[in-house]
Amino acid sequence: MLILKTLQWGPQHGYGIIQAVRVSTSDVLQVETGSLYPALHRLERQGWLASEWKQTESNQRAKYYRITAAGKRQLAAEHARWQQLSKAIASIMDRTEEEPA
Amino acid sequence: MSFRSRNRELDDEIAAHVRMALRDRLERGEPYDEALRAVRREFGNEAAVKEITRGMWRFTWLDTLLSDVRYALRGIARSPGWAAAVAISLAFGVGANTAIFSLTYAIVLKSLPIPEPSRLIRYGFRNGDQDIGLSGPAYDALRRHQSASTDLLAWSDADLLLDENGHAERVNGAIMSGTGFRVLRLQPVFGSTFGDADDVPGGGARGYQALLSYAWWRSHFQENPSVVGRSLRLNGQAVTIAGVLPPGFDGLVSGNTASIVLPLAFEEVLHAPQPLRKLEGAFWLSVFGRLKPGQSMVSAGANLAAIEPAVRIEADPRQTMMGGFFKGFHFWVESGSGGRSFLRMLYQRPLLILEMLAGLVLVLCSANTALLVLAQMSSRSRQFALRTALGATRGRLFRLVLIEILMLAAAGLALAVGLGWSLARSLMAMLGSIDSTPSIDVTPRAIILAFTAALTVAAALGSGLLSALRISRADPAETLKQGSRTATSRRAAGRWIIPAQVAVSITLIASALLLGASFLHLYLANSGFRSAGLFLADLDLRPARLTDAQTAAAIRRLTSEVAASPGVEAASYLGVPPIRDWWSSGHYFSVDRRGAVHSDMTTWPETVSAGYFQTMGTRLQQGQSFAKGARDSDRTCILSENAARYFFPADNAVGQLVYSGGGTTANDGARLNPEDACRVIGVAENAMVRSLREPPPRMIYKILGDEDAGPRFTIAIRAGNGGQASAALREALRHIAPGEPAPVVHPFSELVDAHLNKERMMIRLSTCFGGCALLLTAIGLYGLLMRSVTQRTQEIGIRMALGASRRSAVGSILGVALRQVAIGLVAGGALAFAAARAMESLLYGISPRDPRIYIGSILVVLATTFLATFVPARRAAGVDPAEALRAE
Repeated sequence: MLILKTLQWGPQHGYGIIQAVRVSTSDVLQVETGSLYPALHRLERQGWLASEWKQTESNQRAKYYRITAAGKRQLAAEHARWQQLSKAIASIMDRTEEEPA
Repeated sequence: MSFRSRNRELDDEIAAHVRMALRDRLERGEPYDEALRAVRREFGNEAAVKEITRGMWRFTWLDTLLSDVRYALRGIARSPGWAAAVAISLAFGVGANTAIFSLTYAIVLKSLPIPEPSRLIRYGFRNGDQDIGLSGPAYDALRRHQSASTDLLAWSDADLLLDENGHAERVNGAIMSGTGFRVLRLQPVFGSTFGDADDVPGGGARGYQALLSYAWWRSHFQENPSVVGRSLRLNGQAVTIAGVLPPGFDGLVSGNTASIVLPLAFEEVLHAPQPLRKLEGAFWLSVFGRLKPGQSMVSAGANLAAIEPAVRIEADPRQTMMGGFFKGFHFWVESGSGGRSFLRMLYQRPLLILEMLAGLVLVLCSANTALLVLAQMSSRSRQFALRTALGATRGRLFRLVLIEILMLAAAGLALAVGLGWSLARSLMAMLGSIDSTPSIDVTPRAIILAFTAALTVAAALGSGLLSALRISRADPAETLKQGSRTATSRRAAGRWIIPAQVAVSITLIASALLLGASFLHLYLANSGFRSAGLFLADLDLRPARLTDAQTAAAIRRLTSEVAASPGVEAASYLGVPPIRDWWSSGHYFSVDRRGAVHSDMTTWPETVSAGYFQTMGTRLQQGQSFAKGARDSDRTCILSENAARYFFPADNAVGQLVYSGGGTTANDGARLNPEDACRVIGVAENAMVRSLREPPPRMIYKILGDEDAGPRFTIAIRAGNGGQASAALREALRHIAPGEPAPVVHPFSELVDAHLNKERMMIRLSTCFGGCALLLTAIGLYGLLMRSVTQRTQEIGIRMALGASRRSAVGSILGVALRQVAIGLVAGGALAFAAARAMESLLYGISPRDPRIYIGSILVVLATTFLATFVPARRAAGVDPAEALRAE
């Protein structure tokens, strides 16, 4: 989901995604390369991402990933589910604090 | 995208990642070495990242399939006994079908290895079941008149004698008209063929040209390509090897291998000194044609019907044959794509019946498999319910069950191919007769393997689909709630399986009983021969090159020498060996006291020695046998009982005259020349000299004359044992034809066995099918009842505690079983009757409506089901209420 979200802002390459996640979460979340690349290839297989080779700003060749329409739908669905889940977890966590053991 | 280019791209992608990371750090002013190390640390294990990423490329469905297969394997490993039972059950049903289909394919369906075999047609001459070849003049006339085929060819199998380095060897060969290669469109692998110019007496300018079969070229000449042009000595005549025929072509008469093919004109050498080519009465040619474009078998048949009158006259201007014995015969066409096959004529119908019975066996085995699968799956129903509750989709469960069954089917398939092949080979060996062992290949080939695989998959799906559907439809909540108590109680699907099994069992057993009764009828019928102590041997004096008179003298000497040998009671020459479906016929007539003429074209003349009746054990009913030393010139004869009654309906036949007619009934009684007549000295009981399956022919026995003797004949010996018979023959032959190998001496009973091969094969198979059907039904019923007793133990316990008797407990269990068996009995009776009607033409001496057969098979099935219910019933009766309730 994080990958999809990151790519919503525009096409990006693998290194760029890691940087973007790190920056936007203020170093709290770090995406390991060991899970990033498998995830990228899996998402591409599932049709949620498309890829192409492009020049970077620093004039290097890199593989850029772009979110597809299906990917956007998936992101919306996952986002909704995430909100539900986090709300549920939050409500449990909050209750636990109210009733100290 | 290929795996390799994908791999390269991944490498590039990761390299770019590392370069960018490095560049960022360098831009931040980190020293190169440190930056590189940091980047590497950050990235982690490059190879591992690549490996995991590559894992994502694999097709996801393949992934889940693999996990399903693994799961199925675990399931199979957990209950190996069950798995083996399913695989064996499928293998048996499919194997039996494979064997029968292999035979059907080899005998009925296989085509000749020539271009467009389906355009080849065969011209025959038939009367009912008798389908004989064409005579030389008939072939010529047919060729002149017909317009449906591009041209015709004539073919005949030939026994060749190959002289090589001073010793003679028999080789199966054939002769074919010069048109043959054109009609067949058969090309040699190398060398050349022969044509019309070579098919003339002497073989034309090039001499006789011979083509070798590929197999014989390999075995005899070790694939030496320089044999072309070499000379061979066949039947004393030099021939030149012209070429080698393509692999797989071994002649046009299936079962008879032709190793050497020669021009038809070679017949003058083969049949010297009496060539058959111009004879109106020798029906020895197999004739084929290739349909012209636009023609079909139907139009060829119409064409044939139109030209038949003209052909009949040209083939036999005097009409002695066509107007006489062969009056009832008519020309006809059939598909020639498989060549001519005597086995096909004999076995087409039996094989159809066997296919039907084997199909029933497959139904039975599938039903059995279905029971096994149902039982196994219902015992796993909790597990499946749990999986559904944990989120497995119905489709996935469905697939899971199917995969497990298909994997067992794969094991069953391997078993079935092996089983089917060995069964087909042993069946083929059973088809051999004394005259020839058919060389028919039943090696599994693509079409048979495809058939087997399709059958296996169909059977597996048929038996597994139900369970798979059931499992995927089951409501997990219900199943889990009910627990083990009632989850598997009386299942609707199980209900049709037992009746189906019972019905199939009854059909198979009724078939086996019918065929068995028919066989016994044939086997035990009075054939007119006394089998015990009777031995026969086929002799061939051709290598001695004798004239007819010399041959007759040699035969007389041989017979009397054998008869005088120690341990031998009597011996006789036989012109036509008995019980081999050969035939012989002549035209005879008599004139009774009132001047009425009794004429017959189909009386069987048998030339014999004086000791014939003593040797064969055929009893004389009136008059006397031939005197010792009786000669042909005595002009005496003996009639069979039916012939005596036919020729002399009102008189005692003994002492009367029987005239040989000239083949045209116009002569009957017109000219009573005593030179053409023989005086009846005795009347013998009827003998089934042609076949045990047919009513005995009218016979007239005469003493062998000088002009009747051919170099190939049969000798019958009545002796104490086979050793004495063959010793006597060997000794006598040493005097008469030194250097000839001693022929094989067959006990007469062996000939009868060979004669009844077809029946024996069908009995063995149908008995085997029937036995297996009973066994499977019994096991199925036993399993079903055992399960029902186990599941209902508590219920029975409660009932007993409330005062029910043991008898009612047993009754409630048996009631279920008996209801199902009863349904099966009714259905089975109807099915069995239908099957019996289908095999009516194969039955002798028993009607398919014979009630004893049906009562018998129903009793057998009932007895078996009682045995199968015995243990479960006892178990039910033995339920201890206290025990059963405590177990709750």
